[in-house]
Amino acid sequence: MNNNLSWLILFTLKREFRKASNLIIYFGLPIAGILVSMLLYGNSDQGGLRLGIVNAEGSEVAAADTVRFISGLDHVRLETMGEKELHQRLYSGKLDGGVIIEEGYSASLLDGEPEHIVIESVKGAEVTAYLKAMLNGHIGNMVLLAEAADGDPETFKHLLETNLQGNFQVETETVNDHSDQKQMTYQSIGFLILFMMTSAVNLSELILNTKEDRTYFRIISSPVSSRTYVAANIAVNLFVMLAQTVFTLICLQYVFRIDSGIPVLQLMGLMMLFALNSVSISLVIVAISKNRGVSGSLQNLIIIPSCMLAGCFFPPEVMPSAIRKVSDFMPQSWVLKAIQALQNGRGFAEIALYLGILLAFALVFFLIAIYQFGRNNDIRSFR
Amino acid sequence: MNVLDIRGLTKKFGEFIAVDNMSLSVREGEIFGFLGSNGAGKSTTINLVASLLRPTSGEIRILERNIAKHRRFAKTNLGIVPQELAIYQDMTALENVIFFAGLYGLRGEELKERALEALQFVGLEDKEKSYPKNFSGGMKRRLNIACAIAHRPKLIIMDEPTVGIDPQSRNYILGSVRRLNEMGCTIIYTSHYMEEVEEICTRIAIVDHGKIIADGTKEQLIAAITDMKNITIELKKADPELAVTLKQIAGIRAISVSDNLITISSDLAVDNLGTILKLLIDSGSEIKALEEQAPNLETVFLTLTGRNLRD
Repeated sequence: MNNNLSWLILFTLKREFRKASNLIIYFGLPIAGILVSMLLYGNSDQGGLRLGIVNAEGSEVAAADTVRFISGLDHVRLETMGEKELHQRLYSGKLDGGVIIEEGYSASLLDGEPEHIVIESVKGAEVTAYLKAMLNGHIGNMVLLAEAADGDPETFKHLLETNLQGNFQVETETVNDHSDQKQMTYQSIGFLILFMMTSAVNLSELILNTKEDRTYFRIISSPVSSRTYVAANIAVNLFVMLAQTVFTLICLQYVFRIDSGIPVLQLMGLMMLFALNSVSISLVIVAISKNRGVSGSLQNLIIIPSCMLAGCFFPPEVMPSAIRKVSDFMPQSWVLKAIQALQNGRGFAEIALYLGILLAFALVFFLIAIYQFGRNNDIRSFR
Repeated sequence: MNVLDIRGLTKKFGEFIAVDNMSLSVREGEIFGFLGSNGAGKSTTINLVASLLRPTSGEIRILERNIAKHRRFAKTNLGIVPQELAIYQDMTALENVIFFAGLYGLRGEELKERALEALQFVGLEDKEKSYPKNFSGGMKRRLNIACAIAHRPKLIIMDEPTVGIDPQSRNYILGSVRRLNEMGCTIIYTSHYMEEVEEICTRIAIVDHGKIIADGTKEQLIAAITDMKNITIELKKADPELAVTLKQIAGIRAISVSDNLITISSDLAVDNLGTILKLLIDSGSEIKALEEQAPNLETVFLTLTGRNLRD
């Protein structure tokens, strides 16, 4: 490694890590993020599914039978509510899933083509698959009864009531619900993304800091070029990102015992790819800022809103579809999509598109930063 | 041997010409005074010599090597004491010197020895573990110098090293400049304090509008204006507009008004003191002091540039 480059890297690291406040920012805040995620998602009963049901058909026998069937499932806690409340509780994470029985459900069963029943969840297939499989079986049975009734509503009703009074025993198998663990991981990574980005800007701001205290002038008067100086800053930035990510993931898995559902190395690789994005975005912010005041304002203007839109703080399903499309222009969104894909069992090779998009984002931001640094002729800045 | 050679140097910022076809040589062992008022082109020239800016045209040689081709060599042999403090407030004095000297490739015991030596040179050997944020202005200035000399450069550029400090620290710094020179360093010294330049510089160049308009020893520069005299008048309240009126008086070559002090450069042969006083009295000005002197460096500067060094 270039002698001056290593000298600058070591000096900057020494200077950064001697301040307790920096240690809190780089390592304390991501841990606080995990704790917040645990508070949000970790207080649920791990042994059961929390489901909400909206029954628009009221006391119709078919609808009532379906409600009875779901509430009879093992490890299911069912609450009846309105559609608005169902959505609110789903998005706030208070429910794992919901079933909406719309008007026309009973009639569709009688016709032998069941519809007007919807399963909703923000936690993915792990919740819906189990419920869907059980409901499919039950609805299939009801369709058979409808066929036996030969489309006659009274006979169908009679058969269903007989069925209701029958002494059928539904046997279910217990499944382990990892959705909360995955949701906690997702949310913790969301916070980690935010803190990685703010840390990256803080570290890149050292460039502006040295310009303001004129030490930059002295550094580039020495045999160190401005390129070497920026390269050292990038290296320090990536090192801190790596340390921050390793520390956070170790705490997530071994201290808080949260199973991310993703092999550690894959998660690390993904986060380091995002680290390139964090550093490149921070360099763009610093390159277009005259001083730290401006970069601080840009940081507030860019990082928090983009993290919010990308789904770092709450599931993107909460947002309208138009805003969800906007989030496609944010690298954070692609990391989170990649994490969800990996959690749902897809391999690293299968998310190549996401990785490619992240790499392209980093490349574009680096090029913008280089162009902007090159344009600046201010002697206090870059040549 | 010339430590610094500047040939046909020009630097343009858009349409503005900051340095205009400048040529200059600084010989080994000199303390070279580089004088110019604000905006004259001094700082741009220093930044070009330090390779912080690229010239539009022309050539700069340090120790007979073109800095465009031998940038590392040039930078290694150059020490810069910037006008504004360039030190880390949150690092100790020794850590500051070690860091900056390390940028020149020094490592290990040699680095520490050189850093301690530099601190000792500026009289801060007992402050090596103290933080600059707790230093006085003079001590910070001395640390600013220590950071520039630990790597033992052949050429040191000092840009206003005594700005805003107490007389004791100023004397210490001027003494340090002389001692560095005795140790073999060539020094380029810029200052707004004419008396400092007169006191320590062996040769002086005056720069104005990006050009060297005079270059020589103090005596040579003054000899060039032996037909001039210097009149200094202190008023209770000086109106800058007075300069325009006084300029009409026969024999007056240049005039500067600052801080209630009027400095006039006039032909020695023309007896115009009475006319000057009459005009001031008629304008309602209250005269507090008046002095007519033989030409000095201040007169030279005022005559050549039409401005005071502090303007």
